[in-house]
Amino acid sequence: MNAPGAVTRRPRLLPSIVPITAVLAIAAALAVPGFTSGPNLSNVGQQAAMLLMLSMPMTLVIMSEGLDLSAGALLSLCGVVLAKVLVAGAGLPLALLASMGIGLVLGLLNGVLVSVLTLPPFVVTLGTLGIAQGAALVVTDGNAVTGIGPQAASFYALAPLGVPVSLLIALATWGLTHVLLYHTRFGNSVFAIGGHRDALVLAGVRVHLYHIAIYALMGLVVGVTALLLTGRMNSGHPTVAIGMEFDAIAAVVLGGTAFERGDGRLYGTVFGVATIGIVRNALNLMGIESSMQVVSIGVLVIVVIFLDSSRKQKGRAA
Amino acid sequence: MRTWNTLRLAGIVAAVVAPVLIGAQPAHAANERLAAFYKNQVDPHFGLVRGGVEAVVKQMGAGAVTHYAPTRPNNLAEQLSQIEDVSVKRPDAILFMAVDPRGVVPAIEKVNAAGIPVLNYNDRVAGGKYTTYVGADDFKLGLDTGRYALRAIGGEGLVVIIEGVKGSTTSDQRVAGFNKAIEEFPKIKLLASQPGNFQRLPALQVMENLMQAHPRIDMVLAAADAMALGAVEALEAAGRKTAKVVGINGVPEAIAAIKAGRLLATGEFDGYKIGCVAATAALRGLRGQPVPATIILQGTVIDRSNLGPWDVPMDKRVCPKWEEVAR
Amino acid sequence: MSRAAQRDIQPRSGLAGLRERLGDEGFAFGLRIILILGIGVFLSASTQGQSFLSTANILNVLRQASLIFLLASGLTLVILAGGFDLSVASNLTLSACLAAGVMKATGSPLLGAAVALGCSTFAGLCNGMAVTLLRLPPFLATYGTLWILQGLAFHYMGGNEIFGFPPAFRLLGTGFVLGIPVPVYLMALVLALGTVVTRHLNIGQEIYAIGANPVAARLSGIPVRRRQLAVYTASGLMAGVAALVYLARVNSADSGIGEPLLLPAIAAILIGGTSLFGGVGSVLGTVAGSVILALVINGMNLLNVKSTWQPLVVGVVLLVAVLADLLSRGRRERIG
Repeated sequence: MNAPGAVTRRPRLLPSIVPITAVLAIAAALAVPGFTSGPNLSNVGQQAAMLLMLSMPMTLVIMSEGLDLSAGALLSLCGVVLAKVLVAGAGLPLALLASMGIGLVLGLLNGVLVSVLTLPPFVVTLGTLGIAQGAALVVTDGNAVTGIGPQAASFYALAPLGVPVSLLIALATWGLTHVLLYHTRFGNSVFAIGGHRDALVLAGVRVHLYHIAIYALMGLVVGVTALLLTGRMNSGHPTVAIGMEFDAIAAVVLGGTAFERGDGRLYGTVFGVATIGIVRNALNLMGIESSMQVVSIGVLVIVVIFLDSSRKQKGRAA
Repeated sequence: MRTWNTLRLAGIVAAVVAPVLIGAQPAHAANERLAAFYKNQVDPHFGLVRGGVEAVVKQMGAGAVTHYAPTRPNNLAEQLSQIEDVSVKRPDAILFMAVDPRGVVPAIEKVNAAGIPVLNYNDRVAGGKYTTYVGADDFKLGLDTGRYALRAIGGEGLVVIIEGVKGSTTSDQRVAGFNKAIEEFPKIKLLASQPGNFQRLPALQVMENLMQAHPRIDMVLAAADAMALGAVEALEAAGRKTAKVVGINGVPEAIAAIKAGRLLATGEFDGYKIGCVAATAALRGLRGQPVPATIILQGTVIDRSNLGPWDVPMDKRVCPKWEEVAR
Repeated sequence: MSRAAQRDIQPRSGLAGLRERLGDEGFAFGLRIILILGIGVFLSASTQGQSFLSTANILNVLRQASLIFLLASGLTLVILAGGFDLSVASNLTLSACLAAGVMKATGSPLLGAAVALGCSTFAGLCNGMAVTLLRLPPFLATYGTLWILQGLAFHYMGGNEIFGFPPAFRLLGTGFVLGIPVPVYLMALVLALGTVVTRHLNIGQEIYAIGANPVAARLSGIPVRRRQLAVYTASGLMAGVAALVYLARVNSADSGIGEPLLLPAIAAILIGGTSLFGGVGSVLGTVAGSVILALVINGMNLLNVKSTWQPLVVGVVLLVAVLADLLSRGRRERIG
């Protein structure tokens, strides 16, 4: 299964998120009326789809000891661009290309600043957050972009074989990221860039190319996600996705990928996304007061990372 | 060691269960179940709306109302998720206001398709089918309040506008009303029009900076009370006694400020009334009683002379009579 | 002697040489001063000198900067020690709301202040214990506490606001002493204290050491966990101080006041030259960063620039400040 020349990885424990997701899913199915109904599960899938798409490349970014805080603002910008192209009369494919193009450009900017200029990713992406946010606001003058026609919304409403198209695209993104990470040289370098970057350079690997590619991939995926966002809202809005990157980062870290040392489990992230989606949905269905929903999420985050870190320590002591 | 582990496990379980228990709403005998949406959990205006809704639900003996507000203020993605989730729960009726008037439309259309009656209150949504609209005429509010303010300074002077959030119907309509009022007074000069985001601190800082750029300001027209009060704080801190401020809403703090002479007046956009009337309309609709398709609550300009009815704590407030508003 | 060795011994010329003579901190601060002066000159010119250069406006800018600085000051210490605290803004929100409630109920500013500071320091202590005792990664642990504190604030306020505080209390935010706003004095006081602690006390040197290399710090006998606990507690305490200044200035509290302050606080620290990896930076830098941010926003308001441009400008300023640091960094400091 490993690509030739791949780094051998020692077998690791299942991340805590997996049993926690299972417990929460079972608890929700038993205790929350309506949770297991078809429409509700479809809702959960759709709501989680965008977060899943953002979290896949974010896993790679975090594995490379980086961070991308600009993802949410970039998503809004790509959505706005996509909407504007649709308003201008072009078809959905062209709009999607435009959106992916913008995503790619900003992703490359992030990558170049981080890899070539060696600026800290937190700072770089905070700056590009401002730039993307600013661009979106300036282009729309703060207003939503409406009148985009039915194409985006009808695409979003498609459900081949009963599965929402957004979920299918998200799962496809997972598949693509999996292949990239575990079966290509690019993927190998992602493991190494986090924590052993200098070794790679000294070994003559084209680190810059791969490092930039990580952020460029993030930008591309954001561009595609904008299609789902615009379809869902039937409009483009300059500030709609602010803060989504924090959810994606939380999902990645809940899934067991640590900030240092390039340890990453892609399927862990998927479980992280699932947990967040299930908890939010269950709390909504139970009619829990919004303020306590917020507290619950915070408690959940702390509990999961506590379990993870105490298991890691037990592993070390053993 | 084992007791420590059990203790830890118990602690974790308790920590996870506690917020759920605290936040769970008590079960009611199942009569009508309402779902009420708000834009955020932060602006006291929506606190008033919620108060009005709950008062009516109690008075009219309905079953229960569940309140939905995004955890991140004005977050569209969260509201969309809440709309989707609520359509699974199938309440008997939904009271709805949108975080973004256009972005929610596809989700609302799905709720329409599911056959759940939706009532639009507070400000208009740009699409979807509603049994009734309950709100105010924001443009007229801006116009009336603006006229009052400009007359109060003798029809001439230097004026600044503090807008809300760009793109929100309330802000745009009220500011348009202000501008129309300014047109009617040729001796009034508009110095600047800056957004305050419907929040206090940004409005305060905008006012501070405007004061630097313009040594003399006679009147501040603010699109909402929160911003008006921020402007008042800034003016007072700078010792500018001659400038006057008006806002729109009529929240308790604004009433107190008018009494104390710090705020000149406020245009009435009474959240409590809106909540009352909307909940009444929804329940009447469910009980087969007649309900008009549009209810516009007339707002007066509240100043020192007539603030009595609003100078009342929430638990003592009275809902307007149905016959008066539903003409 | 080889050329390379000669190169290393002789003082370097140009920008890098200046950096060596001033020391890293001095150089970084010098860059900030130049940036501040540059923005100042630009604004004076564009507003024809009247509005920008007036004493009142300068004091305005300083006062606006001081709120962000007070919030960011404790966070600076945490970042210097190599940690992070995302919850400072929600900490401010909850402390402010509780203090407001207490002040309204009892009419006592002292009680309110005690509640705010006690609550915020306790939250900081909890963060510290989560990081040191439970060994949770700081970014995510404080992300969790961010949600918890915010949710508690929502629950306590119930969607309402609390307003109207005693005039004596309000002097903290709106008062003037010798013509200078009180918050500016607070900023100066915290700056002085912070500089003394970080430069001249052992604990300060230990904080820098922990940030630069935690393993080496531990091996050289520094009580790493106790110091980390201390900085997180300090971060909590300063959030409480900022909460009091906010209440005094704005005269009301609701459950959303802190959220918009988080990113500006982080930006102020970063613009000020503090590195997220820890071990590099200063409290003085955070002052400079806060002032630069306040200047930029003040300038945009004075020039009647639409607020839609604000995030863009702030993002660019952040990148400029960081690039300025980079350009002066010696090439040998990073492989590849």
